[in-house]
Amino acid sequence: MNWTQSLFRLVEPVVPPRFVIKRLLLLIPVLFGVASVVFAILHLAPGDPAIVIAGQRASAEQLEQIRVELGLRRPLWEQYLSFLWDAARFDFGQSYSISRGNSVRSVISDRLPITLELAIYGQAAGILLGLPLGIISAVKQDSLTDHVTRIGALTGISVPIFWSGPLLILLFSTYLDVFPTSGRIKSTLFLPDTWTLLGRELPLTGMITVDTILLGNTEAFLSAAHHLFLPAVVIGVYSTALISRMMRSSMLEVIRQDYIRTARAKGQGAKITLMKHGFRNALIPVVTVIGIQFGTLLGGAVLTETVFGINGMGLTIVDAISASDYPVVQGTVLTFALLFTLVNLFVDITYSYLDPRIQQ
Amino acid sequence: MSTDTETRGTLGRLRASPFLADLLTNRLAVVGLTIILSMAAVAIYARVTYDLGALASSQLGTEIADRAPPGWLGPAPANQQLFGTDAAARDIYKRSLYGAWLALKFGTITVGTSTTVGVGLGIIAAYYGDVTDNVIMRTMDVLLAFPPLLLALALVAIFPRELGLWRAVAALVLVYTPRFARVVRGAALKVLEDEYVDATVALGATDPRVLVRHILPNTLAPITVQSTLNFGLAIIDLAALSFLGFGAQAGSPSWGLMLSRGVENGLLTGEWWLSFFPGLFLAITVLGFNLLGDGMRDALDPRMRDAID
Repeated sequence: MNWTQSLFRLVEPVVPPRFVIKRLLLLIPVLFGVASVVFAILHLAPGDPAIVIAGQRASAEQLEQIRVELGLRRPLWEQYLSFLWDAARFDFGQSYSISRGNSVRSVISDRLPITLELAIYGQAAGILLGLPLGIISAVKQDSLTDHVTRIGALTGISVPIFWSGPLLILLFSTYLDVFPTSGRIKSTLFLPDTWTLLGRELPLTGMITVDTILLGNTEAFLSAAHHLFLPAVVIGVYSTALISRMMRSSMLEVIRQDYIRTARAKGQGAKITLMKHGFRNALIPVVTVIGIQFGTLLGGAVLTETVFGINGMGLTIVDAISASDYPVVQGTVLTFALLFTLVNLFVDITYSYLDPRIQQ
Repeated sequence: MSTDTETRGTLGRLRASPFLADLLTNRLAVVGLTIILSMAAVAIYARVTYDLGALASSQLGTEIADRAPPGWLGPAPANQQLFGTDAAARDIYKRSLYGAWLALKFGTITVGTSTTVGVGLGIIAAYYGDVTDNVIMRTMDVLLAFPPLLLALALVAIFPRELGLWRAVAALVLVYTPRFARVVRGAALKVLEDEYVDATVALGATDPRVLVRHILPNTLAPITVQSTLNFGLAIIDLAALSFLGFGAQAGSPSWGLMLSRGVENGLLTGEWWLSFFPGLFLAITVLGFNLLGDGMRDALDPRMRDAID
């Protein structure tokens, strides 16, 4: 192969753009449906937004004025259309109560990175540990290693996060005092809003372990990692359990296929066959599961944030529902659905890379 | 060649033992079934023996100490509850046992309702196809586009607080139904390809008869596995909603609520028994359903796995 050919291979897209565009277009009706469901939910919810904003003691005229200002006196279809327009621009107005006076968009941009950071560490731990565990378990089927891994994984998905979390806090924070019980960083440390790169001020990411590295603040980074460790373990264990189970059953099915036997018969080594033919094919269904499981992981992040007092999207949505802060509920629920849908889109594209037949 | 395949097919069929026999030789499934049956016995015992009102109301001001550790630990206090008492001096042992009743009762209602509705929608979508199929399945797709627990959280907001655990049930039914509809539709489409369905229709069978007598029985296997695995999930999710404050009402001996009180009252003071016991019951119950569900999946035709996952 000469160098022009290798260059072409580099620029040649791994997944045809037509496939990606088709998938993106299919997203539109789903997102439209998702926005409609959110609109319906909040219009069916009991409670009067005007009372939430003005309080129980407000006069009837004040309440009526707020209702008019919020557009609640307009016909329903008009409210629906204006909601869709707002949703498309990602503008949900201001928070009624939990972060009064701030726009929902700013609440989300503050809190989303916190939740994402937690979910990413959890998912990364799950992939890094779950895939090898699943493969070992499948290759050594019915060995002691396999039994331990399987039962461990089954226990891992059966133990609720809101039990394992408190138990870890009790053991490592209350009794042994080696990890903090809650929060994201030592309360004596303050981080600035921006960091400097080549003399230019840039905004921080909001993910505390990343930010402390960008700022070059070792002490803050260590403190942040120290705080994040237990919550990440709780999510990571759950995600490892799920992924190793899937990887095992998928690998078991693949290593029985004829092409594996053929490859071995041709004299290919066991390890190479396993990785080249086994792993890639076994990964296909697992990738889908990793995508679907990301939704469960986001739910897990909500529970973890509640247990560990981390002020991310999860704690925000729980507070907003309790306080009937409808704009925040709308914004956060839609963000979660959008995130979940995009992850699954990404998974679909990865899937089609692993199994090109799917592109037809 | 064709005789060879035929012989292998017949032999395979002869060798394949019935589903139930397969299931009972699967040790993990038997352990799961044993756990579930024991938990059901505990639930019925608690329901018959204890008075819910007494379990729910505060015992502060009586001779029973609050936050007393389990009786078998250390020097004997005035009262010796097996699992200790909570911040309102209530007996954690009795409350944990009663929690089994609540979990299994509301879990059954949640899974039962979503299975029934999901199966109905799935079969109708597969059988009528076309517009009906599209309307049903696209609606299901939208519901599946939400992360499950977050959709449940948003949905509980619709229902009045007084409904207690019932609003968690209602929300979760809406979350689980699409999963069943999807699995059943897939299984039903496979059945519909079989010639006997055409034959039945040609013989003049009515739609409901074809649906109930011929398609439904052939989709039961994936439905049963899906239901069992979802049972564990439902019990966790019901507890999670109670834990977050959107399920069981104050005082109720639901495991989720007990855990949330345990986190609130016992975490920093080291009173571990407040959260340990209700969580242990919850985890064991869920493990039972997961063991059984896994065993059922293994006992079924492996090709069914595609339809289930």
